[in-house]
Amino acid sequence: MVEPCALFEDIVADIDALFLFSPTGSEYEDATELEETPVVVVDTDNTVEADKFVAVPLEFDDIEDRIRFALEGATEQELVEPGDQVAAALSLFGDDRDMIARVRVRDGTHGIYDLFTDSRADPAVIRDAFDVAIELGKKGQKGKPVGALFVVGDAGNVMNKSRPLSYNPFEKSHVHVGDPIVNVMLKEFSRLDGAFVISDSGKIVSAYRYLEPSAEGVDIPKGLGARHMAAGAITRDTGAVAIVLSESDALVRAFKGGDLILELDPEEY
Amino acid sequence: MVDLLANVSIEMQYLWAALILVFGLFGGYVIGQLNRQLLFGLGVEEAVEGTSLERTARNFGTDTITVLARSTAWIIYLFAIVYSLQVAGFVQTSVLLSRGADLLPSYVLAVLVFMGGLLAGDKVEMSVDERLKGVKFPEVSLVGRILRYTVIFVAVLFALAQIGVAVEVLFILLGAYLFAFIVLTATALHQLLAAGGAGLYILLSEPFSIGDRVAIGNREGVVQEVDLFVTTIEQDGRSYLVPNHLVLRKGATLIRD
Repeated sequence: MVEPCALFEDIVADIDALFLFSPTGSEYEDATELEETPVVVVDTDNTVEADKFVAVPLEFDDIEDRIRFALEGATEQELVEPGDQVAAALSLFGDDRDMIARVRVRDGTHGIYDLFTDSRADPAVIRDAFDVAIELGKKGQKGKPVGALFVVGDAGNVMNKSRPLSYNPFEKSHVHVGDPIVNVMLKEFSRLDGAFVISDSGKIVSAYRYLEPSAEGVDIPKGLGARHMAAGAITRDTGAVAIVLSESDALVRAFKGGDLILELDPEEY
Repeated sequence: MVDLLANVSIEMQYLWAALILVFGLFGGYVIGQLNRQLLFGLGVEEAVEGTSLERTARNFGTDTITVLARSTAWIIYLFAIVYSLQVAGFVQTSVLLSRGADLLPSYVLAVLVFMGGLLAGDKVEMSVDERLKGVKFPEVSLVGRILRYTVIFVAVLFALAQIGVAVEVLFILLGAYLFAFIVLTATALHQLLAAGGAGLYILLSEPFSIGDRVAIGNREGVVQEVDLFVTTIEQDGRSYLVPNHLVLRKGATLIRD
């Protein structure tokens, strides 16, 4: 007679660290009782005030993305080393803790971590741009789905590789993405075509920009339209990242260096 | 009033004394309660929340508002008792009364000023600490503490001056301290102030905007960022941070081609 616990106990046997994703206060308290194993908390905010904490900008849809991001963040803070075996406890189906994965920490960074931490723009600015795109994707413009394109960072070069489609409503204004009023403004301005240009520090430089990068050799998945092509191409030509809300399938996608890095469904948030 | 009462019979004197006592006690209680309501209404409770004075008061099982309200009530009680004793003719209190009437208000005021100073000092420290919480630099908490003691020092000074202690030396000390502070700040920050002033002009009138190619002094590049203090221009992978006062002093050349 074998208990299920015993059958799978080697999943958490000899781990170098335990990663708790979005734990409650009491859960974290319990986990800190583990004396041998360091506990790393992964969340958008450090609500449990853990010593070892990795901030994630968004709750990624993809569970692998989520774990990878946490591991890379922890490696950066030197909480774990490449080669360590760690266990990640997270919630896959509901809000309750329902899965444990055993992962080996790998060397180097992959796309999503790189997108947030190694871009020209501040991670907070990129996160705010995502928030706006997700918000826009959820609500749309007066109930109709809208598309939008945010080009974040390296604004000087982006402006030089684009031209205005209409007068710039953000001229001589000093609003930053993440300001409460901005969501409303961006929603209104998303009615017209063209890209929003956002600087490294989050200042909204312009709306209604027609991007003119050379799209030669930019390879984006088939089926995506001109907006995504422009987004991919501008990130290859400049140091910007592009966040696109698709009008047809209402997904939010992020491009960097000409590649599609991340795909999110706004309905999940 | 004492002269007026001198002619009335002894019974009337007792009656007057009792009336004054009752009225004084009643009035003191009502004014104490009113004071309490007023302090609550002014939001004093929230204002003193978490300050060390409030904590001390709580240790004694009370709070700042109650202490303040009680003390006004007690001052009135005291006056009522002394005055009624005088009227009844039990004690010859006119000397006590006149000196008390002279001194008491200023002492009360001094205590109030001192308490106000303690509260304000605490408040200043708390709000400054709150503001600086995002700054991950432990020594920064010194700023709040210095401000707190400055406020308390000024309050003590006023309180002492109120009760007639010679404080000229302390005032000179305060003056010297403030002077040194202002001079030091001005010297330390004059670059930033100049840059901020110029930055205000640049931000408001936007003579060049992000994406324009400009030359400032011997630097040339594409404007990437303009904030209050610096303008960032970039050329061939190099970012130059140009302080805004230099932008105005050296002049910026817009390059159109």
